[in-house]
Amino acid sequence: MRTHAYPGRDDLENLLVVHFRPVAAGGDLARRALLRLRDGWDTERFAGDVQIEASERGIIRVSPGGAAHPPVSRAAKRLAERAREELHDYLGGRRAFFSVPIDFAGTRPFQRKVLELTHRIPFGDTRTYSWIARRIGHPLAVRAVGTALGRNPVPILVPCHRVLRTDGGLGGYAFGLDLKTRLLGLERATPVLEGCATTGIVCRVGCPDAMRMREDSRVVFASVEDARTVGYRPCRTCRPGAAAGA
Amino acid sequence: MTTDRELMHRVATGDEPAFTELSNRYSARLLTMAWRLLGNRADAEDAVQRALLRLYTSARSYRSEWAVSTWLYRITTNVCVDEMRRRRSRFVLQRAAQEEADGQGLLFPWGGGHGGGGAQNLDVQRALDRVPLEARMLLALRYMDGLSYRELARVRGISVNTVKSQLARGKSIVRKILKKGGPGRRTAGASTKGAE
Repeated sequence: MRTHAYPGRDDLENLLVVHFRPVAAGGDLARRALLRLRDGWDTERFAGDVQIEASERGIIRVSPGGAAHPPVSRAAKRLAERAREELHDYLGGRRAFFSVPIDFAGTRPFQRKVLELTHRIPFGDTRTYSWIARRIGHPLAVRAVGTALGRNPVPILVPCHRVLRTDGGLGGYAFGLDLKTRLLGLERATPVLEGCATTGIVCRVGCPDAMRMREDSRVVFASVEDARTVGYRPCRTCRPGAAAGA
Repeated sequence: MTTDRELMHRVATGDEPAFTELSNRYSARLLTMAWRLLGNRADAEDAVQRALLRLYTSARSYRSEWAVSTWLYRITTNVCVDEMRRRRSRFVLQRAAQEEADGQGLLFPWGGGHGGGGAQNLDVQRALDRVPLEARMLLALRYMDGLSYRELARVRGISVNTVKSQLARGKSIVRKILKKGGPGRRTAGASTKGAE
């Protein structure tokens, strides 16, 4: 065996020590991390500027600015406020799902199918225009899918930014490709499942029960099953195991 | 030499030279762990940069009862684990698309890249790819930096007993796979006889 001898360790452990020996790190990892920081995006301001309109059944419109119609009822107002809070948390990297309902009543049947399917694309994932076309039973209607998403009345909440071209290109985005890139980057940097080391409960990021968790209690998991293997149980409020995507 | 904790407190005030110094102290170890978990250098560097960024932005929530190394490993493992989740999800989708196209599944869903080394290292990597993620991460931390059971428990927010059982399970899987490895791999398998 060509491994070094490590007193007190067995041969398998010696193999593992050799396998995990440190590699040389580029000296500029810290500098590159700081560069990312300076590319910061004022998410607070963005969330504050967004206009949200709701019916009594759900959110009907999200637009990046301008004037919104006044809410039609108290229930609609409450939904719009809830959506703003969720949007605020999402843009701040504290939420990986939206629970506020969407009202698709004002959309045509084809667009509705496209939007409902897009609404189920999991946080942090991406799909292609042609995937959506196939899944809704119109495999040749790729361009029409693009048009339906381009007219998405509830962007971000219905995540049309998660739909890309088949060649990996970004495709289009009604609010500009810069925002699409930023949203995809934001979702890449936000975990989806977080356990609390104190309670041993694993939640979806954004669950109200996990909001008070201390920073040093946060442990990220790749799946509910992984969390179970080390003794965590799923939260009964946000039910992370039951969350299914498209 | 300035201690890690002193540097950490300076980082919390936005001191960039302190951040660079602290990053330089740990980046090789963090990169190794990320590389072994994610399988290639590019993804590992991306993960470590994200972890360092998180270190910088959340430095104010650092509590001095934590060893800085433990704190850093917690942040970095959190980033790597979420990257693994994303890969699994991508793999499930790719497999579905491929099955739809030609009725076949994909091999080697995630990992698969190897950070250099000889044939023996490749054997160990292949064996580790079969170890469940949580146990694999504990093995990486244990044998890369010699973390104690207590430190490992703190990094992953689990009990010391769970750490022990996960490490034993991980090693048992690696040992079994290396033993099955065939004539060219017999050295590793035979040499583990009687271990543990």
